[in-house]
Amino acid sequence: MKILGAVVVITASTMAGWIYSSLLKKRIKIIGDIIQALHWLVTEIGYATVPLMEASSKISGRIQGEARIIFSGFTEELLASKGLIADEAWQKNLAACRKKLFLHNQDWMILENFGRTLGNTDREHQLSAIRQNVERLKVQEEEAIKDQEKNEKLYRYLGIAIGALVILIFY
Amino acid sequence: MSFEKNILPYLAPKIRGIVESIKQNYPGIWGKLEEIRLRAERPLQIEIGDSLLVTAEGRLTADQTQAFIVTQEEVIRTLQLIGGNSLYTLEEELKEGYITLPGGHRIGLAGECLVEQGSLVRIKRITSLNIRIARELKGISHGLLPFLMEEGRPLRTIIISPPQAGKTTLLRDIIRCFSNGEQLPFPVKVGLVDERGEISGCYQGVPQLDVGIRTDLLSGCPKREGVFLLLRTMGPQVIATDEIGRPGDLEIIEEILNTGVGFITTAHAWDTKDFSARPSLRKLWFHGLVERVVTLSRRFGPGTLEGIWDGRTKEQIFSRVQRLR
Repeated sequence: MKILGAVVVITASTMAGWIYSSLLKKRIKIIGDIIQALHWLVTEIGYATVPLMEASSKISGRIQGEARIIFSGFTEELLASKGLIADEAWQKNLAACRKKLFLHNQDWMILENFGRTLGNTDREHQLSAIRQNVERLKVQEEEAIKDQEKNEKLYRYLGIAIGALVILIFY
Repeated sequence: MSFEKNILPYLAPKIRGIVESIKQNYPGIWGKLEEIRLRAERPLQIEIGDSLLVTAEGRLTADQTQAFIVTQEEVIRTLQLIGGNSLYTLEEELKEGYITLPGGHRIGLAGECLVEQGSLVRIKRITSLNIRIARELKGISHGLLPFLMEEGRPLRTIIISPPQAGKTTLLRDIIRCFSNGEQLPFPVKVGLVDERGEISGCYQGVPQLDVGIRTDLLSGCPKREGVFLLLRTMGPQVIATDEIGRPGDLEIIEEILNTGVGFITTAHAWDTKDFSARPSLRKLWFHGLVERVVTLSRRFGPGTLEGIWDGRTKEQIFSRVQRLR
């Protein structure tokens, strides 16, 4: 029985370590997808002058990963036509996305600030705001890659180590 | 009603609520609404023949202290909603000073302008919105049509009136009747240069208002280029444009005359006296370039027909003042 308990504890803690380390990878993927989406947004606005809702709808159809909900939710908020301006629709959707996507606070802050520039300026300023945010997100992406390289193995071993420690203490 | 569907969703929520209350409080005047005016830090105002202020409860008042004061934030919010949250798509409109909504309704813009080398780049800080409700009054021109044709030929016609007396509405209906052959022995091919998109109510290139089945439309195109393009390519029997009176417009009319094609247009003037006194238009009158002058006023409401003049003899050929319905 004791052995069975020990196996369960060590499996659970190892799994927890693996899951947390995999989140580091997910963050990189999400930020990368958002950067790609913003590049598409530059194309839609810069070359075709497509309205924001249409551009966001197109982008949400093209993104494959989890970051899709940032644009699909935003499109839905705009479509609901409850008198929300773009910034309000963006922030409302981001609040819902926070529960579903693994991103750091700094990442969310960049996304929140990005929303404040949406749809309320001329084309030149709109494109410049998107590009600035792409640069900021690239910095976050690099930081996320370093974080993964540095801590991925650490979290996995930590999971096993904590499991082992618990077994040593209680048995 | 078209404007409920096409205007109300674009108003800032608070203003929308107030405007909807007007409908509940005064169902009788709802259908007569001509304009909704939003000015930053000024009372909310509507036009229904008279200019009236609106309270926060949607009651009409003449007392400024009772009126609901529109904030700058509400003006901007309305503008953003009108622009589909994409002001970058409206650069041309912000330069021209108006935006067209589905249904052909027109939003006039005013505010602080950005000027470079003496030319207007765009209105950069919008503080006033004038929401003009487009009304399509089909058939109002029926009584006039016999005066606008002669020996099977559409006569060169100008409709003159002060602002908001229904010039464009009447012009649209005449174009539609010509084009469809309605109340006429045969239809007429019309070339329409709708410089400001107001006649056809063009939204994203599609006419929202009925301008007839034999009308070739150039929307948002400068008059000069548009007229020459249509004359060269579409073989119109009549060229229709809105609001002449700027320098150079007379030359366009003369060019049309040289081709033997008819025209119908409009101009701002109080009456034929005012029309004949305006430097940019007087030649039309004194040289008999126009064959019919139709004058409108707001005497009995928008679209009051004051009379029809023969431009060649300068005689009034129709004088019964009546509201066109």
